[in-house]
Amino acid sequence: MLFNSIDFALFLPLIFAAYWGIAQKGLRLQNFLIVIASYFFYGWWDWRFLSLIFFSTIVDYSIGIKLGEESVPRKRKMYLWLSLFVNLGFLGFFKYYNFFLDNFVAAFSFFGQNIEASNLEVILPVGISFYTFQTLSYTIDVYKRNLEPSKDFVSFAAFVSFFPQLVAGPIERATKLLPQFYTPRTFDKSLAVDGLRQILWGFFKKVVIADSCAQTANLIFNNSGDYSGSTLVLGAILFTFQIYGDFSGYSDIAIGTARLFGFKLMRNFAFPYFSRDIAEFWRRWHISLSTWFRDYLYIPLGGSRGGTGMKVRNTFIIFLVSGFWHGANWTYIIWGLLNAIYFLPLLLTNNNRNHIEIVAKGAFLPSFREVLGMLTTFVLTVFAWIFFRADSVGHAFSYMEGIFSSSLFSLPQIHPITTLIVLFFFLIIEWIGREGDHALEKIGLKWNRPTRLFFYYILALVVLLFSGQRQEFIYFQF
Amino acid sequence: MKRIIFQTAIFLLITGASFFLILCQADGRSDAFYLKFTTPKQTNLIIGTSRAAQGLQPPIFDAVLKKEQPFFNYAFTLAQSPFGPVYLNSIQKKLDTTKRNGTFIITVDPWTICSETETPNDSTSFREANLALANTSNVNVKPNLGYLYHNFGGKYHQILFPVNSKMYLHEDGWLELNLRTDTATIHKRTLRKMKDYRFNVLPKYKFSSLRLQYLIKTIQYLSNYGTVFLVRIPVSEEMMRIENELMLDFNFKIKEAILLSKDYLDLTKENSSFTYTDGNHLYKKSGAIVSEKIANWIKAK
Repeated sequence: MLFNSIDFALFLPLIFAAYWGIAQKGLRLQNFLIVIASYFFYGWWDWRFLSLIFFSTIVDYSIGIKLGEESVPRKRKMYLWLSLFVNLGFLGFFKYYNFFLDNFVAAFSFFGQNIEASNLEVILPVGISFYTFQTLSYTIDVYKRNLEPSKDFVSFAAFVSFFPQLVAGPIERATKLLPQFYTPRTFDKSLAVDGLRQILWGFFKKVVIADSCAQTANLIFNNSGDYSGSTLVLGAILFTFQIYGDFSGYSDIAIGTARLFGFKLMRNFAFPYFSRDIAEFWRRWHISLSTWFRDYLYIPLGGSRGGTGMKVRNTFIIFLVSGFWHGANWTYIIWGLLNAIYFLPLLLTNNNRNHIEIVAKGAFLPSFREVLGMLTTFVLTVFAWIFFRADSVGHAFSYMEGIFSSSLFSLPQIHPITTLIVLFFFLIIEWIGREGDHALEKIGLKWNRPTRLFFYYILALVVLLFSGQRQEFIYFQF
Repeated sequence: MKRIIFQTAIFLLITGASFFLILCQADGRSDAFYLKFTTPKQTNLIIGTSRAAQGLQPPIFDAVLKKEQPFFNYAFTLAQSPFGPVYLNSIQKKLDTTKRNGTFIITVDPWTICSETETPNDSTSFREANLALANTSNVNVKPNLGYLYHNFGGKYHQILFPVNSKMYLHEDGWLELNLRTDTATIHKRTLRKMKDYRFNVLPKYKFSSLRLQYLIKTIQYLSNYGTVFLVRIPVSEEMMRIENELMLDFNFKIKEAILLSKDYLDLTKENSSFTYTDGNHLYKKSGAIVSEKIANWIKAK
C-alpha cells in the first residue's frame, strides 16, 4: 500500500480509531492489531510475500529464545549464524541471485569459457532489505547480550512488521523499538500533533518535490544522449532532490504515522544537503542505515581503532556494502566507492567530525565558508547520484561525458519552471526549519493559531494540487 | 483525543472542500479528454480515434444537418479508442437510448481494426483495457471525480495553470489544436510522425478480426438508435503509403461493416486537397472543410 494513495487515506484513520478504541482492553490486543494491520498493509501489495516476513519472524523469535537460554559460546554462535544464514539467504536469493549469476557468466566468458545459465524471474519483495536488517539487529543484539530475548511473540511480530516503517525504514534497532511494544502507550496530544505536521511535510516532499523533479529527471536520464551538458546537469540536480524528497518524505510520513500510534522512531534524515562536508552528509543521510553499518559492521571490523590501513579498509568496506545494499547493480557499488573516496581524505586528516551541529546554528544566514562547504558537498553528491540513477555504468559515464562537453555552457533545453519555483520555496522552509527534527517542527509555533493553520492549509492544498500521476517510492525497490 | 480528531477532521474537510472546488474548475484546457466525460448522454455521436477527435467539428455538422440534438465528438486516440469491447462499452454509456433518430459518424482506418499485441484477438491484453475509457465507469457526470482520480493526464495544479495552451477541448468534444503552421515546422512534425509510424508502429500492428467484429457490433448497436455512416478521413500521402503497407485491402476487409451502415465515404482519394498538422491529423481549417463535406454527404443521403 502506498502512503500517497486513497487506500492508505482510508486505512490509516480506521486503524487509528480501532487502535485507540481498544487501548483500555490491553496492550496485547493493541499489538495484535498492529500485526494484523501491518500484514494487511504489506499484503495489499503482494500477499504471497507475507510468508517471508512470517517465516523471518518465527526464525528470529525462536533463535532469540535459544540465544537467551544457551550459555555455550560455540552453540550461541551457531544460532547467530543460522539467523544470518536465513535472513541474508532470503535477501541474497531475491535481490542478488541474478546479479551474481550474470557476473559469474561474464567472468567465465572473459576467460574464454562460455557457460549457459538461466536467470530466474525473481520478484523482489518490497522492503526486504529493510526488515531483514531490522530483524538482524535483534538477533545480533541478543547474541551480544545487549537485549533480552523477546518472550512475547505478538510484540515481536509487531516489531518486525510495524507497518509505518516496514517497507522503507527507518531501520529500527531492536533495543529501541522492541521495548516500546512492551510498554502501555497513552495518547500524547503533542506527539500526535507533531506527527501530523511531519506527515504533512513528508507528503510535501514526496508529492510536490520528488514527483515533480522525477518527471524532468526521468525525461533527461532516459534520453540523456539527446540533451546538452547544461540540461544533463539540470537532470542530475533534479534527481538529487527527487531522491531526497522521495526517501526522506517517506521517512517523515513513517515517523509521523508511528507517532500517531504512540511510537517514537529514530530520525532518518537531518537536512543532508546543508552539510559542509561529506562526513557530515553521511551523518545526516539515511541515518538508520549508516548507523546500522557503523554498529554492526564497521565497529566489529575494528572501526577506527587500528592503524590507518584498517581505517581505510573498513571505510571502503562499509561504503561498498552500503552501495550494494541498495541494489544488485555495479552502479550502486561505484556510487558507494565514490563516496568512500570522498570520505577518505577527511578520515585520514581527522577532519571527519568537524561539523556535528547543524550549519549556522542560531544564525539566520551561513558564513561564506559554510556556503562554500555546502556547495562543494552538494556538487560532489550530485556527481555521485549520477551513478545511482543511471541504468548502467556505461550510461553513467556517457552521461558524464555529455556533461563535460561544450554545451555545458549553453542554456538548458528544458525549463521546468514550476519545479524550480517549488524547489526554491522548499529549500527556504527546510533552511528555516533546519534546527528541528523535521522542517515543520518549529516553524510557525510562534505565529498565532489562524496564521499557522492557514500555512498548513496552503501546504496541504499544494500537496493535493501536485498529486495526480502517482509514483512509487524509489526506496521500495531496495 | 476527541478534540484533536475533531480538529483534524475539520481541517481535512476544509482542505478537501477547497480541493473539490478547484477540481470543479477543470475545463477544456486542463485535459484532452475530461469534458467528454462530463456532458449528459448524447444522441448524435462522432466515433473514432484522434483523427476524428481533432478533425471533425460538431458545430459544422449542427449547422448543416440542423438536427434536434447537437453532435458530440466522442472520439479519442488510437491507444484509447480503437474498436473493441472497451470503446463499445463506453459508447453504450454515452448514448442516450431514449432517442431513436440519432446520426452516428464512425470514422474508420486500418489502425482501428488492428492490435499491437502478440495475439491480436486477445482482448484482455488490449492496451485500452488499462486506459481512460476502461477506467471511467461514469461518463456523464460533472465534475467527474472518477475520471480525475484515475485518468487525469498530469498534476491537478494544471487545472488552475494549464500548461498546454495549444490544446483546447470544446464542450462538444472537439479537440482543437492551435499548432504552428509554418511549412518548416509542419515538415519537421510530419517527418517525426511518419518516422514513428513507419519504424515503431507499423511493425507492431497486426490485423485483428476481433476488432473488426467490434466495429460491426458497434454499427449494429448504434443502428438501433439512428443512422450510421462510415467515413475514412484523409491523411497525408506518406501516411497513406504506410497504411497501404499495413492493409492494402482495407475497404474489402470492412465490406460487411459497410453493408451494415447507411453508406461509406472514403475521403482518402482527396488526400492531397488538405493540410495536416503532422501527416496524420487534419489541420483545423482542413478539418472544417472535411466536416462540411461529410455533413453535406449525409444530408444528401
